[in-house]
Amino acid sequence: MNKFLAIATASVVASAAQAQETVVWWDFLAGGDGVRMKQMIEDFNAAHEGEIVIDATTLEWGVPYYTKVQTSVAVGEAPDIMTYHSSRIPLAIDQGLLQELTPADFETMGLGEDDFAPSIWDAVSADGAQYGMPLDTHPIVLYYNKDALEEAGRLTEDGLPMGLDSREGFTQTLQALQDSGSVNFPLASVTADGNFMFRTIYSLMGQQGGELMTDGEFLAGDNPQKLENALTVLQEWTNAGFQSTYTDYPATVALFTNGEAGMMINGVWEVPTMIDLEAEGNLFNWGAVELPVIFDQPATYSDSHVFAIPAGNDMSEEKRAAVLEVMSWFSNNSLFWATAGHIPANNSVQGTDEYQAMEPNATYSSLTENMIYDPKTPLAGVAGPIFDVMSTYFVPTLNGEMDPSEAVEEITYELNDM
Amino acid sequence: MLRNTKKEWLIAYILVAPFVAIYGLIFVYPTVDMFILSFQDAPLIGTGDFVGTENYERLPRDRRFNTAFWNTAYFVALTVIPGTLVALAISLGVTRLSGRLQSLVLALFFLPYILPVSVVFRIWDWTMNFQFGIAMHLLDALGLERVPVFQTSTFFMPAVAFVTIWWTCGFSVLLFLAGLRAIPQEIYEAASLDNTSRWRTFRHLTWPLLWPITALVLTIQLILQLKIFDQVYLFSQGGRPNDNLVMVYYIFQRAFVNNQGGRAAAIAVVLFIMVIIIAALNFQLMRLSERNK
Repeated sequence: MNKFLAIATASVVASAAQAQETVVWWDFLAGGDGVRMKQMIEDFNAAHEGEIVIDATTLEWGVPYYTKVQTSVAVGEAPDIMTYHSSRIPLAIDQGLLQELTPADFETMGLGEDDFAPSIWDAVSADGAQYGMPLDTHPIVLYYNKDALEEAGRLTEDGLPMGLDSREGFTQTLQALQDSGSVNFPLASVTADGNFMFRTIYSLMGQQGGELMTDGEFLAGDNPQKLENALTVLQEWTNAGFQSTYTDYPATVALFTNGEAGMMINGVWEVPTMIDLEAEGNLFNWGAVELPVIFDQPATYSDSHVFAIPAGNDMSEEKRAAVLEVMSWFSNNSLFWATAGHIPANNSVQGTDEYQAMEPNATYSSLTENMIYDPKTPLAGVAGPIFDVMSTYFVPTLNGEMDPSEAVEEITYELNDM
Repeated sequence: MLRNTKKEWLIAYILVAPFVAIYGLIFVYPTVDMFILSFQDAPLIGTGDFVGTENYERLPRDRRFNTAFWNTAYFVALTVIPGTLVALAISLGVTRLSGRLQSLVLALFFLPYILPVSVVFRIWDWTMNFQFGIAMHLLDALGLERVPVFQTSTFFMPAVAFVTIWWTCGFSVLLFLAGLRAIPQEIYEAASLDNTSRWRTFRHLTWPLLWPITALVLTIQLILQLKIFDQVYLFSQGGRPNDNLVMVYYIFQRAFVNNQGGRAAAIAVVLFIMVIIIAALNFQLMRLSERNK
């Protein structure tokens, strides 16, 4: 009882008679970025002592997370704030899972459309309304082993891989890496997991100006040809022995980090892995750069982590204000989040000198101008239905078992059959 | 003494009531609800518009349903009878041992059964992984080509069937051992006095006397393997999920990935009816073959 009184008194004193708001938080960040997010939550709690405290839980990424969100909303036990993938917002709206973030909300946060890149803002918007506050954008990039490239004579004076501007140039780089014999595979590719390869292949479609979905139809017009072109390039790399075959995600990262592969296409979220290995002295000289331009124009697939407020959560006005404060604080302090490899969505954070000096982020942050997001359909999004269809045909194609044209035919049929 | 039957009935009802209530709440109600849901255009959670039999009508021309149906049949064919035969063979071997050695060997065969499916997946992924699996290094040493076991549709089902038999046959072995121990030794003594060959002893004594256990193992295996999901799901992560679909996996995909509770319920009803028909057929067949003996 005494203890209770002491706490009560202390909090009354500290918050000047204002009750402390507890904000229940769910996220799916369990990797190197999860560690950094926990650090940020601690910093937030310290900065808002006596006013707001975040009660955070980390759940399993993917289908388990989104299923739990759905059930919790249905029974009225949803958190106050949660992380979400912008690519899943169309499905979430369909499921009635999200509350709109009104212009007044954004005003309270001191943020608005002008603070974000147009593609990011568009990714959280549906029918003119916003359903999330973008925290970051996390595209895929090209990781490279500087030592291996130097040995193969394909490193520029600025320490970048040569041949990033054309298909021929990049093939030369792959060929040189193979000829130099310093690596087993010029490129580590997640060829056993079509879900992952969707990101690369969609980027290559974007480089030809292709679209996955046009007016509600999948692969309309000449888009099947563009998908086939993308698959053909990747299959050629496989046939030439440029990339690792039947390699799953962990094996891909392992092939690159232990020096068996010269380059790797992977998400920026692996940056902490590299930084930590380098700090332990267990990594070669490395870098990360925007994807090579294989076709006509640069384009990179990206997704955003956003903060969202679940539906069916009658929170008090004070609680909602606290949630908005959380969103605003994390956006304004997302410089630290960038150490997890992600590109902060907030333009003013991107503009700071500290961010401009941060490597390797500064090298690849130019790609924000060339980002493409998932098509806006309830069938899209990480761990969504499109993923399974793509994976089923990407895996045999990328490993040389299936003809790209046959794969495209099957994919078109199955996507439109959903 | 006169019995108050009315009172006895009342007590009986009161005693049975909690069970009936719980059974109704957690079994009958969800089953009925699933049937209702299968006629609706419902999301995963909540109800939807009534659409008649549309969810059923689209199944015959649904390619993924087709894949799921035939894969399930294929998987059952690969596991039920082969798994039972393997378990029978192991138990016949184990029963010839005695004392500590028997316990040790039995424990070794039973060990995989106690593992959770996630561990089973890890062990076999560690063995068969195309880049780093230890089996692949073995193939390299033998000068053979590496095989991407879980990424090709040819090898996927047989490999998962093999893993399943490896994982679950320990339980069937236990059932068979119990059955073998129940056969009186005197019969075998009489047979050996008549100089009966080992094969004839098995064919005319062990096999018929063990038949009730064999029938039980077959039935358990059949129902279990029709409901296969975990292993197929785990080994398909990445890979070629839509080529590896089995019935329960397809239900999961429709419900949790596509958010189509109604269509998922329709597939679940089909599986439910399939299991009932096959189990009833199986039971009748077993009874018939028993009567013939």
